[in-house]
Amino acid sequence: MNELLLQGLVNGIILGTIYALIGLSLNVIFGVLRVVNFAHGEFIILGAYGAYFAQKLLGLSPFLAMPLIFLAFAAMGYGLYFVLIKRLAKSDDPEHASLLVMFGVAIALGALMLIFFEADSRSLSYTLDPPFFMFGSVIVPTAKLVALGIIVVITAVLAFFLYRTLPGKALRAIIMNRDAVQIVGVNLERMSALTFGLGLGLAGITGVLVALIFPAFSPFIGQDYTLIGFIVIVLGGLGHPVGAVVGGIIFGLTEQTALVYTSGTTATLLGFLLLIGVILVRPTGLFGREALK
Amino acid sequence: MLRIEGLRKNFGGLKALDGLDFEVPPRSILGVLGMNGSGKTTMLNCINGVYIASSGSIQLDGKELTGLKPAQIFDRGVGRTFQVPRVFSRMTLWDNLAVPLLSRSMTRAERDEIRATWLKKVHLFDLRHNYAEELSGGQQKLLELARIMVSRPKLVLLDEPFAGVNPTLSRLLIDVIRDMPGETGCSVVLVSHDLTSIYELSHDIIVMHEGRILARGDAETVQSNPDVVEAYLGA
Repeated sequence: MNELLLQGLVNGIILGTIYALIGLSLNVIFGVLRVVNFAHGEFIILGAYGAYFAQKLLGLSPFLAMPLIFLAFAAMGYGLYFVLIKRLAKSDDPEHASLLVMFGVAIALGALMLIFFEADSRSLSYTLDPPFFMFGSVIVPTAKLVALGIIVVITAVLAFFLYRTLPGKALRAIIMNRDAVQIVGVNLERMSALTFGLGLGLAGITGVLVALIFPAFSPFIGQDYTLIGFIVIVLGGLGHPVGAVVGGIIFGLTEQTALVYTSGTTATLLGFLLLIGVILVRPTGLFGREALK
Repeated sequence: MLRIEGLRKNFGGLKALDGLDFEVPPRSILGVLGMNGSGKTTMLNCINGVYIASSGSIQLDGKELTGLKPAQIFDRGVGRTFQVPRVFSRMTLWDNLAVPLLSRSMTRAERDEIRATWLKKVHLFDLRHNYAEELSGGQQKLLELARIMVSRPKLVLLDEPFAGVNPTLSRLLIDVIRDMPGETGCSVVLVSHDLTSIYELSHDIIVMHEGRILARGDAETVQSNPDVVEAYLGA
Protein backbone atom coordinates (compact mmCIF):
# COMPACT_ATOMS: atom_id res chain seq x y z
CA MET A 1 0.00 0.00 0.00
CA ASN A 2 1.12 3.52 -0.75
CA GLU A 3 2.96 4.84 2.33
CA LEU A 4 1.21 8.21 2.22
CA LEU A 5 -2.17 6.53 1.97
CA LEU A 6 -1.30 4.38 4.99
CA GLN A 7 -0.34 7.53 6.89
CA GLY A 8 -3.63 9.11 5.81
CA LEU A 9 -5.60 6.10 7.04
CA VAL A 10 -3.89 6.18 10.45
CA ASN A 11 -4.47 9.93 10.76
CA GLY A 12 -8.06 9.41 9.63
CA ILE A 13 -8.77 6.84 12.33
CA ILE A 14 -7.24 8.97 15.09
CA LEU A 15 -8.96 12.19 14.03
CA GLY A 16 -12.10 10.17 13.31
CA THR A 17 -12.28 9.15 16.95
CA ILE A 18 -12.13 12.82 17.98
CA TYR A 19 -14.92 13.57 15.53
CA ALA A 20 -16.78 10.55 16.91
CA LEU A 21 -16.51 11.95 20.43
CA ILE A 22 -17.94 15.27 19.21
CA GLY A 23 -20.77 13.45 17.45
CA LEU A 24 -21.37 11.16 20.40
CA SER A 25 -21.99 13.99 22.83
CA LEU A 26 -24.10 15.91 20.30
CA ASN A 27 -26.14 12.80 19.57
CA VAL A 28 -26.81 11.97 23.20
CA ILE A 29 -28.05 15.54 23.73
CA PHE A 30 -30.20 15.51 20.61
CA GLY A 31 -31.53 12.01 21.21
CA VAL A 32 -32.68 12.67 24.76
CA LEU A 33 -33.59 16.35 24.68
CA ARG A 34 -34.36 16.91 20.97
CA VAL A 35 -32.12 19.94 21.36
CA VAL A 36 -29.92 20.92 18.42
CA ASN A 37 -26.88 22.16 20.32
CA PHE A 38 -25.48 24.59 17.80
CA ALA A 39 -23.10 25.93 20.46
CA HIS A 40 -21.33 22.59 20.88
CA GLY A 41 -18.19 23.74 19.10
CA GLU A 42 -17.93 26.82 21.32
CA PHE A 43 -18.16 24.63 24.42
CA ILE A 44 -15.36 22.48 22.97
CA ILE A 45 -13.16 25.53 22.53
CA LEU A 46 -14.09 26.68 26.03
CA GLY A 47 -12.79 23.29 27.22
CA ALA A 48 -9.53 23.96 25.40
CA TYR A 49 -9.24 27.32 27.17
CA GLY A 50 -10.05 25.55 30.44
CA ALA A 51 -7.01 23.32 29.98
CA TYR A 52 -4.91 26.33 28.92
CA PHE A 53 -5.74 28.36 32.02
CA ALA A 54 -5.54 25.33 34.33
CA GLN A 55 -1.99 24.94 33.10
CA LYS A 56 -1.12 28.62 33.19
CA LEU A 57 -2.73 29.57 36.49
CA LEU A 58 -2.67 26.32 38.47
CA GLY A 59 0.22 24.53 36.83
CA LEU A 60 -1.96 21.50 36.04
CA SER A 61 -0.98 19.30 33.13
CA PRO A 62 -3.72 18.93 30.49
CA PHE A 63 -4.07 15.26 31.41
CA LEU A 64 -4.74 16.08 35.06
CA ALA A 65 -7.03 18.95 34.10
CA MET A 66 -9.21 16.68 31.96
CA PRO A 67 -11.34 15.10 34.75
CA LEU A 68 -11.71 18.49 36.48
CA ILE A 69 -12.87 20.09 33.23
CA PHE A 70 -15.33 17.24 32.71
CA LEU A 71 -16.82 17.80 36.16
CA ALA A 72 -16.93 21.59 35.77
CA PHE A 73 -18.58 21.38 32.34
CA ALA A 74 -21.00 18.70 33.49
CA ALA A 75 -22.07 20.93 36.39
CA MET A 76 -22.41 23.88 34.00
CA GLY A 77 -24.53 21.76 31.63
CA TYR A 78 -26.73 20.53 34.48
CA GLY A 79 -27.36 24.11 35.59
CA LEU A 80 -27.78 25.45 32.08
CA TYR A 81 -30.50 22.86 31.46
CA PHE A 82 -32.72 24.44 34.10
CA VAL A 83 -31.90 28.00 33.07
CA LEU A 84 -32.22 27.61 29.31
CA ILE A 85 -33.06 24.20 27.90
CA LYS A 86 -36.01 23.24 30.09
CA ARG A 87 -38.08 26.08 28.62
CA LEU A 88 -37.40 24.83 25.08
CA ALA A 89 -39.00 21.49 25.86
CA LYS A 90 -42.33 23.28 26.29
CA SER A 91 -42.11 24.69 22.76
CA ASP A 92 -44.35 23.24 20.05
CA ASP A 93 -41.23 22.67 17.95
CA PRO A 94 -38.27 22.14 20.31
CA GLU A 95 -35.84 21.23 17.50
CA HIS A 96 -36.22 24.53 15.64
CA ALA A 97 -36.50 26.59 18.82
CA SER A 98 -33.35 25.02 20.23
CA LEU A 99 -31.47 25.49 16.96
CA LEU A 100 -32.16 29.24 17.11
CA VAL A 101 -31.50 29.60 20.84
CA MET A 102 -28.28 27.58 20.75
CA PHE A 103 -27.14 29.49 17.67
CA GLY A 104 -27.54 32.61 19.80
CA VAL A 105 -25.62 30.96 22.63
CA ALA A 106 -22.86 30.07 20.14
CA ILE A 107 -22.53 33.69 19.03
CA ALA A 108 -22.60 34.94 22.63
CA LEU A 109 -20.03 32.37 23.80
CA GLY A 110 -17.75 33.16 20.86
CA ALA A 111 -17.98 36.89 21.64
CA LEU A 112 -17.36 36.33 25.36
CA MET A 113 -14.30 34.20 24.63
CA LEU A 114 -13.04 36.93 22.34
CA ILE A 115 -13.52 39.55 25.07
CA PHE A 116 -11.94 37.53 27.87
CA PHE A 117 -9.33 35.45 26.05
CA GLU A 118 -8.55 37.80 23.13
CA ALA A 119 -8.22 36.88 19.48
CA ASP A 120 -4.68 35.45 19.62
CA SER A 121 -4.32 31.74 18.93
CA ARG A 122 -3.23 29.72 21.97
CA SER A 123 -1.65 26.34 22.37
CA LEU A 124 -0.92 24.01 25.26
CA SER A 125 2.64 23.62 26.39
CA TYR A 126 3.57 20.03 27.14
CA THR A 127 6.28 17.53 26.32
CA LEU A 128 5.87 13.84 25.70
CA ASP A 129 8.84 11.56 25.40
CA PRO A 130 9.27 10.25 22.78
CA PRO A 131 7.45 12.92 20.76
CA PHE A 132 6.36 10.37 18.14
CA PHE A 133 6.39 6.68 17.27
CA MET A 134 7.35 5.09 13.98
CA PHE A 135 5.32 2.11 12.81
CA GLY A 136 7.19 1.12 9.67
CA SER A 137 6.96 4.21 7.55
CA VAL A 138 4.00 5.63 9.45
CA ILE A 139 4.68 8.42 11.94
CA VAL A 140 2.24 8.81 14.82
CA PRO A 141 2.77 11.67 17.29
CA THR A 142 2.61 10.47 20.90
CA ALA A 143 -0.03 13.09 21.70
CA LYS A 144 -2.33 11.59 19.07
CA LEU A 145 -1.78 8.09 20.44
CA VAL A 146 -2.55 9.29 23.97
CA ALA A 147 -5.66 11.10 22.71
CA LEU A 148 -6.73 7.90 20.91
CA GLY A 149 -6.27 5.90 24.11
CA ILE A 150 -8.29 8.42 26.13
CA ILE A 151 -11.10 8.44 23.57
CA VAL A 152 -11.23 4.64 23.50
CA VAL A 153 -11.52 4.60 27.31
CA ILE A 154 -14.20 7.34 27.31
CA THR A 155 -16.18 5.54 24.60
CA ALA A 156 -15.96 2.23 26.47
CA VAL A 157 -17.10 3.87 29.72
CA LEU A 158 -19.96 5.60 27.90
CA ALA A 159 -20.98 2.34 26.19
CA PHE A 160 -20.92 0.58 29.57
CA PHE A 161 -23.05 3.35 31.04
CA LEU A 162 -25.59 3.27 28.19
CA TYR A 163 -25.89 -0.50 27.83
CA ARG A 164 -25.11 -1.92 31.27
CA THR A 165 -26.47 0.51 33.88
CA LEU A 166 -30.08 1.32 34.76
CA PRO A 167 -29.76 5.10 34.18
CA GLY A 168 -28.07 4.38 30.84
CA LYS A 169 -30.85 2.04 29.79
CA ALA A 170 -33.40 4.65 30.83
CA LEU A 171 -31.53 7.21 28.75
CA ARG A 172 -31.70 4.94 25.69
CA ALA A 173 -35.37 4.34 26.41
CA ILE A 174 -35.96 8.11 26.37
CA ILE A 175 -34.32 8.30 22.93
CA MET A 176 -36.70 5.57 21.71
CA ASN A 177 -39.95 6.72 23.29
CA ARG A 178 -40.19 9.86 25.42
CA ASP A 179 -43.85 9.30 26.31
CA ALA A 180 -43.44 5.71 27.44
CA VAL A 181 -40.57 6.39 29.86
CA GLN A 182 -42.69 8.78 31.88
CA ILE A 183 -45.37 6.20 32.52
CA VAL A 184 -42.74 3.78 33.83
CA GLY A 185 -41.48 6.29 36.36
CA VAL A 186 -38.45 7.80 34.66
CA ASN A 187 -37.98 11.40 35.79
CA LEU A 188 -37.58 12.98 32.37
CA GLU A 189 -36.49 16.34 33.71
CA ARG A 190 -33.71 14.96 35.89
CA MET A 191 -32.50 12.63 33.15
CA SER A 192 -32.54 15.49 30.64
CA ALA A 193 -30.47 17.68 32.97
CA LEU A 194 -28.00 14.84 33.55
CA THR A 195 -27.78 14.27 29.80
CA PHE A 196 -27.05 17.90 29.05
CA GLY A 197 -24.43 17.81 31.79
CA LEU A 198 -22.94 14.65 30.31
CA GLY A 199 -22.94 16.18 26.81
CA LEU A 200 -21.19 19.37 27.91
CA GLY A 201 -18.76 17.38 30.09
CA LEU A 202 -17.77 15.39 27.02
CA ALA A 203 -17.51 18.62 25.01
CA GLY A 204 -15.08 19.97 27.65
CA ILE A 205 -12.90 16.85 27.44
CA THR A 206 -13.02 17.00 23.65
CA GLY A 207 -11.72 20.57 23.90
CA VAL A 208 -8.69 19.41 25.90
CA LEU A 209 -8.00 16.66 23.34
CA VAL A 210 -8.37 19.13 20.47
CA ALA A 211 -5.86 21.42 22.17
CA LEU A 212 -3.50 18.47 22.64
CA ILE A 213 -3.38 17.28 19.06
CA PHE A 214 -3.93 20.43 16.99
CA PRO A 215 -1.29 23.14 16.98
CA ALA A 216 -3.51 26.00 18.19
CA PHE A 217 -7.02 27.13 19.03
CA SER A 218 -8.83 30.45 19.12
CA PRO A 219 -12.36 31.75 19.81
CA PHE A 220 -13.11 31.65 16.08
CA ILE A 221 -13.00 27.92 15.37
CA GLY A 222 -15.93 26.65 17.43
CA GLN A 223 -18.34 26.57 14.51
CA ASP A 224 -15.95 24.29 12.57
CA TYR A 225 -16.33 21.64 15.25
CA THR A 226 -20.09 22.13 15.47
CA LEU A 227 -20.29 21.57 11.72
CA ILE A 228 -18.14 18.44 11.91
CA GLY A 229 -20.31 17.16 14.75
CA PHE A 230 -23.46 17.56 12.69
CA ILE A 231 -21.90 15.89 9.65
CA VAL A 232 -20.88 12.97 11.85
CA ILE A 233 -24.30 12.46 13.41
CA VAL A 234 -26.12 12.76 10.10
CA LEU A 235 -23.71 10.18 8.63
CA GLY A 236 -24.20 7.74 11.50
CA GLY A 237 -27.84 8.38 12.28
CA LEU A 238 -29.40 11.29 14.14
CA GLY A 239 -29.95 10.62 17.82
CA HIS A 240 -28.05 7.33 17.91
CA PRO A 241 -24.86 7.24 20.04
CA VAL A 242 -23.31 4.24 18.28
CA GLY A 243 -23.95 5.73 14.84
CA ALA A 244 -21.89 8.77 15.83
CA VAL A 245 -18.81 6.64 16.42
CA VAL A 246 -19.08 5.04 12.99
CA GLY A 247 -19.91 8.39 11.36
CA GLY A 248 -16.90 10.05 13.00
CA ILE A 249 -14.44 7.45 11.82
CA ILE A 250 -15.85 7.43 8.28
CA PHE A 251 -15.62 11.22 8.10
CA GLY A 252 -12.09 11.21 9.53
CA LEU A 253 -10.95 8.56 7.06
CA THR A 254 -12.55 10.37 4.11
CA GLU A 255 -11.01 13.70 5.06
CA GLN A 256 -7.51 12.44 5.84
CA THR A 257 -7.15 10.05 2.89
CA ALA A 258 -8.43 12.77 0.57
CA LEU A 259 -5.73 15.06 1.97
CA VAL A 260 -3.10 12.63 0.66
CA TYR A 261 -4.19 13.21 -2.92
CA THR A 262 -5.80 16.66 -2.90
CA SER A 263 -5.77 20.01 -1.16
CA GLY A 264 -7.35 20.71 2.21
CA THR A 265 -10.25 22.51 0.55
CA THR A 266 -11.00 19.57 -1.71
CA ALA A 267 -10.78 17.19 1.24
CA THR A 268 -13.38 19.25 3.12
CA LEU A 269 -15.52 19.32 -0.01
CA LEU A 270 -15.35 15.52 -0.22
CA GLY A 271 -16.55 15.29 3.38
CA PHE A 272 -19.61 17.33 2.49
CA LEU A 273 -20.20 15.33 -0.70
CA LEU A 274 -20.16 12.20 1.43
CA LEU A 275 -22.74 13.80 3.70
CA ILE A 276 -24.99 14.75 0.77
CA GLY A 277 -24.63 11.26 -0.70
CA VAL A 278 -25.65 9.59 2.55
CA ILE A 279 -28.64 11.92 2.97
CA LEU A 280 -29.80 11.09 -0.56
CA VAL A 281 -29.33 7.32 -0.28
CA ARG A 282 -30.02 6.72 3.42
CA PRO A 283 -31.75 9.73 4.98
CA THR A 284 -31.76 8.03 8.41
CA GLY A 285 -27.95 7.72 8.32
CA LEU A 286 -25.72 4.73 7.65
CA PHE A 287 -26.99 2.90 10.72
CA GLY A 288 -30.40 4.54 11.04
CA ARG A 289 -32.67 2.79 13.52
CA GLU A 290 -30.27 -0.11 14.01
CA ALA A 291 -27.69 2.02 15.79
CA LEU A 292 -29.54 2.09 19.10
CA LYS A 293 -29.50 -1.67 19.54
CA MET B 1 -57.44 1.81 47.40
CA LEU B 2 -58.56 4.09 44.52
CA ARG B 3 -61.23 6.68 45.21
CA ILE B 4 -62.50 9.02 42.51
CA GLU B 5 -64.87 11.85 43.37
CA GLY B 6 -66.50 14.35 41.00
CA LEU B 7 -63.88 13.82 38.30
CA ARG B 8 -64.38 16.15 35.35
CA LYS B 9 -62.30 16.74 32.26
CA ASN B 10 -63.21 19.33 29.67
CA PHE B 11 -61.61 19.88 26.28
CA GLY B 12 -62.84 23.37 25.43
CA GLY B 13 -66.63 23.06 25.43
CA LEU B 14 -66.55 19.25 25.30
CA LYS B 15 -67.22 17.45 28.57
CA ALA B 16 -65.14 14.30 28.20
CA LEU B 17 -65.68 13.35 31.85
CA ASP B 18 -68.72 14.73 33.58
CA GLY B 19 -68.51 14.01 37.29
CA LEU B 20 -67.27 10.46 37.84
CA ASP B 21 -67.55 8.93 41.31
CA PHE B 22 -66.37 5.44 42.08
CA GLU B 23 -64.02 3.37 44.21
CA VAL B 24 -61.81 0.39 43.47
CA PRO B 25 -61.28 -1.76 46.58
CA PRO B 26 -57.96 -3.51 47.29
CA ARG B 27 -57.25 -6.76 45.40
CA SER B 28 -60.15 -6.28 42.99
CA ILE B 29 -60.73 -5.93 39.27
CA LEU B 30 -63.02 -3.14 38.05
CA GLY B 31 -64.20 -3.61 34.48
CA VAL B 32 -65.01 -0.48 32.48
CA LEU B 33 -67.30 -0.72 29.47
CA GLY B 34 -68.45 1.99 27.13
CA MET B 35 -68.69 2.94 23.50
CA ASN B 36 -65.94 4.81 21.70
CA GLY B 37 -65.86 8.37 23.00
CA SER B 38 -67.55 7.53 26.28
CA GLY B 39 -64.50 8.73 28.24
CA LYS B 40 -62.84 5.45 29.29
CA THR B 41 -59.33 6.27 28.07
CA THR B 42 -59.65 9.91 29.18
CA MET B 43 -60.41 8.61 32.67
CA LEU B 44 -57.27 6.45 32.64
CA ASN B 45 -55.26 9.40 31.33
CA CYS B 46 -56.48 11.52 34.26
CA ILE B 47 -55.67 8.81 36.80
CA ASN B 48 -52.10 8.34 35.62
CA GLY B 49 -51.42 12.03 35.03
CA VAL B 50 -51.27 12.14 31.23
CA TYR B 51 -54.16 14.63 31.48
CA ILE B 52 -54.75 17.04 34.33
CA ALA B 53 -58.33 16.78 35.54
CA SER B 54 -60.44 19.93 35.21
CA SER B 55 -61.87 19.28 38.68
CA GLY B 56 -62.49 16.49 41.14
CA SER B 57 -60.33 14.24 43.24
CA ILE B 58 -58.33 11.08 42.55
CA GLN B 59 -56.94 9.42 45.66
CA LEU B 60 -54.82 6.32 46.04
CA ASP B 61 -54.74 4.98 49.58
CA GLY B 62 -55.99 8.36 50.77
CA LYS B 63 -53.29 10.37 48.98
CA GLU B 64 -54.20 12.83 46.24
CA LEU B 65 -52.88 12.07 42.76
CA THR B 66 -54.35 15.03 40.86
CA GLY B 67 -51.72 17.49 39.70
CA LEU B 68 -48.89 14.98 39.85
CA LYS B 69 -46.82 14.09 36.79
CA PRO B 70 -47.04 10.57 35.27
CA ALA B 71 -43.62 9.62 36.66
CA GLN B 72 -44.63 10.74 40.16
CA ILE B 73 -47.91 8.83 39.92
CA PHE B 74 -45.96 5.74 38.82
CA ASP B 75 -43.79 6.18 41.92
CA ARG B 76 -46.97 6.22 44.03
CA GLY B 77 -47.77 2.78 42.63
CA VAL B 78 -49.93 3.27 39.54
CA GLY B 79 -48.95 1.33 36.40
CA ARG B 80 -50.54 1.75 32.99
CA THR B 81 -50.68 -0.06 29.67
CA PHE B 82 -51.97 1.31 26.37
CA GLN B 83 -54.20 0.13 23.56
CA VAL B 84 -51.21 0.43 21.24
CA PRO B 85 -48.31 -0.95 23.30
CA ARG B 86 -45.48 1.51 24.01
CA VAL B 87 -42.55 -0.83 24.40
CA PHE B 88 -38.93 0.22 23.87
CA SER B 89 -38.70 -1.41 20.48
CA ARG B 90 -34.91 -1.44 20.03
CA MET B 91 -34.16 -2.80 23.48
CA THR B 92 -34.20 -6.42 24.53
CA LEU B 93 -37.16 -7.70 26.53
CA TRP B 94 -34.81 -8.06 29.50
CA ASP B 95 -33.78 -4.40 29.27
CA ASN B 96 -37.37 -3.26 28.70
CA LEU B 97 -38.18 -4.64 32.13
CA ALA B 98 -35.16 -2.90 33.67
CA VAL B 99 -36.28 0.66 32.89
CA PRO B 100 -39.17 0.85 35.42
CA LEU B 101 -36.83 -0.43 38.12
CA LEU B 102 -34.68 2.72 37.92
CA SER B 103 -36.82 4.36 40.58
CA ARG B 104 -37.14 1.22 42.74
CA SER B 105 -34.58 0.33 45.38
CA MET B 106 -33.80 -3.30 44.67
CA THR B 107 -30.63 -5.35 44.60
CA ARG B 108 -29.45 -6.70 41.26
CA ALA B 109 -30.52 -10.20 42.32
CA GLU B 110 -34.00 -8.95 43.21
CA ARG B 111 -34.26 -7.15 39.89
CA ASP B 112 -33.22 -10.24 37.98
CA GLU B 113 -35.59 -12.43 39.91
CA ILE B 114 -38.67 -10.28 39.41
CA ARG B 115 -37.90 -9.78 35.72
CA ALA B 116 -37.50 -13.51 35.20
CA THR B 117 -40.69 -14.22 37.16
CA TRP B 118 -42.81 -11.91 35.06
CA LEU B 119 -41.29 -12.87 31.72
CA LYS B 120 -42.03 -16.50 32.60
CA LYS B 121 -45.60 -15.62 33.59
CA VAL B 122 -46.26 -14.06 30.18
CA HIS B 123 -44.38 -16.85 28.36
CA LEU B 124 -41.67 -14.54 27.01
CA PHE B 125 -38.69 -15.67 29.11
CA ASP B 126 -37.13 -17.65 26.27
CA LEU B 127 -37.24 -14.52 24.10
CA ARG B 128 -35.69 -12.25 26.75
CA HIS B 129 -32.62 -11.46 24.64
CA ASN B 130 -34.71 -10.60 21.56
CA TYR B 131 -35.56 -7.03 20.68
CA ALA B 132 -39.10 -5.91 21.51
CA GLU B 133 -39.74 -4.92 17.90
CA GLU B 134 -39.42 -8.60 16.94
CA LEU B 135 -42.52 -9.49 18.97
CA SER B 136 -46.07 -9.68 17.61
CA GLY B 137 -48.56 -7.02 18.71
CA GLY B 138 -50.08 -9.41 21.23
CA GLN B 139 -46.70 -10.35 22.67
CA GLN B 140 -45.86 -6.65 22.98
CA LYS B 141 -49.00 -6.22 25.09
CA LEU B 142 -47.83 -9.04 27.33
CA LEU B 143 -44.39 -7.42 27.56
CA GLU B 144 -45.94 -4.07 28.44
CA LEU B 145 -47.97 -5.73 31.20
CA ALA B 146 -44.87 -7.49 32.55
CA ARG B 147 -42.95 -4.18 32.40
CA ILE B 148 -45.56 -2.61 34.67
CA MET B 149 -45.81 -5.56 37.03
CA VAL B 150 -42.08 -5.77 37.82
CA SER B 151 -42.44 -2.44 39.64
CA ARG B 152 -44.95 -4.04 42.06
CA PRO B 153 -47.74 -1.50 41.47
CA LYS B 154 -50.69 -1.05 43.80
CA LEU B 155 -53.02 -0.16 40.95
CA VAL B 156 -52.83 -1.32 37.33
CA LEU B 157 -54.70 0.48 34.56
CA LEU B 158 -55.20 -1.69 31.47
CA ASP B 159 -56.45 -0.01 28.31
CA GLU B 160 -57.94 -2.47 25.82
CA PRO B 161 -55.46 -5.27 26.58
CA PHE B 162 -57.27 -7.75 24.32
CA ALA B 163 -57.63 -5.54 21.23
CA GLY B 164 -55.86 -7.08 18.25
CA VAL B 165 -54.62 -10.05 20.26
CA ASN B 166 -55.04 -13.60 18.92
CA PRO B 167 -57.24 -16.00 20.95
CA THR B 168 -54.31 -17.98 22.39
CA LEU B 169 -52.48 -14.92 23.71
CA SER B 170 -55.82 -13.42 24.77
CA ARG B 171 -56.45 -16.51 26.93
CA LEU B 172 -52.98 -16.15 28.44
CA LEU B 173 -53.63 -12.46 29.17
CA ILE B 174 -56.94 -13.29 30.85
CA ASP B 175 -55.26 -15.88 33.07
CA VAL B 176 -52.45 -13.51 34.03
CA ILE B 177 -54.81 -10.60 34.79
CA ARG B 178 -57.15 -12.83 36.82
CA ASP B 179 -54.27 -13.95 39.06
CA MET B 180 -52.72 -10.49 39.54
CA PRO B 181 -54.80 -9.24 42.52
CA GLY B 182 -54.39 -12.49 44.44
CA GLU B 183 -50.70 -12.93 43.71
CA THR B 184 -49.45 -9.35 43.99
CA GLY B 185 -52.12 -7.59 46.03
CA CYS B 186 -52.77 -5.01 43.32
CA SER B 187 -56.10 -3.74 42.04
CA VAL B 188 -56.93 -3.51 38.36
CA VAL B 189 -58.99 -1.10 36.28
CA LEU B 190 -59.71 -2.97 33.07
CA VAL B 191 -61.01 -0.99 30.09
CA SER B 192 -62.16 -3.21 27.26
CA HIS B 193 -64.67 -3.68 24.48
CA ASP B 194 -64.36 -7.42 24.98
CA LEU B 195 -67.54 -8.16 26.94
CA THR B 196 -66.71 -11.81 27.53
CA SER B 197 -63.38 -11.00 29.12
CA ILE B 198 -64.83 -8.15 31.20
CA TYR B 199 -67.61 -10.39 32.51
CA GLU B 200 -65.17 -13.20 33.22
CA LEU B 201 -62.57 -11.12 35.03
CA SER B 202 -64.30 -8.23 36.77
CA HIS B 203 -65.47 -8.23 40.36
CA ASP B 204 -67.36 -5.07 39.61
CA ILE B 205 -68.26 -3.30 36.35
CA ILE B 206 -69.05 0.28 35.44
CA VAL B 207 -70.59 1.26 32.13
CA MET B 208 -69.69 4.71 30.87
CA HIS B 209 -71.71 6.86 28.51
CA GLU B 210 -70.88 10.43 27.44
CA GLY B 211 -68.44 10.93 30.30
CA ARG B 212 -70.77 9.66 33.03
CA ILE B 213 -71.37 6.34 34.75
CA LEU B 214 -74.50 4.85 33.29
CA ALA B 215 -74.58 1.69 35.40
CA ARG B 216 -72.59 -0.15 38.00
CA GLY B 217 -72.68 -3.64 39.45
CA ASP B 218 -71.70 -7.22 38.73
CA ALA B 219 -72.03 -8.73 35.27
CA GLU B 220 -75.61 -9.83 35.77
CA THR B 221 -76.75 -6.45 37.09
CA VAL B 222 -75.09 -4.57 34.26
CA GLN B 223 -76.40 -6.89 31.57
CA SER B 224 -79.94 -6.52 32.81
CA ASN B 225 -79.87 -2.71 33.26
CA PRO B 226 -82.36 -1.26 30.72
CA ASP B 227 -80.31 1.94 30.25
CA VAL B 228 -77.24 -0.12 29.42
CA VAL B 229 -79.17 -2.35 27.09
CA GLU B 230 -80.50 0.68 25.25
CA ALA B 231 -77.30 2.71 25.17
CA TYR B 232 -74.58 0.14 24.78
CA LEU B 233 -75.41 -3.52 24.65
CA GLY B 234 -78.29 -3.34 22.20
CA ALA B 235 -81.66 -5.01 22.55
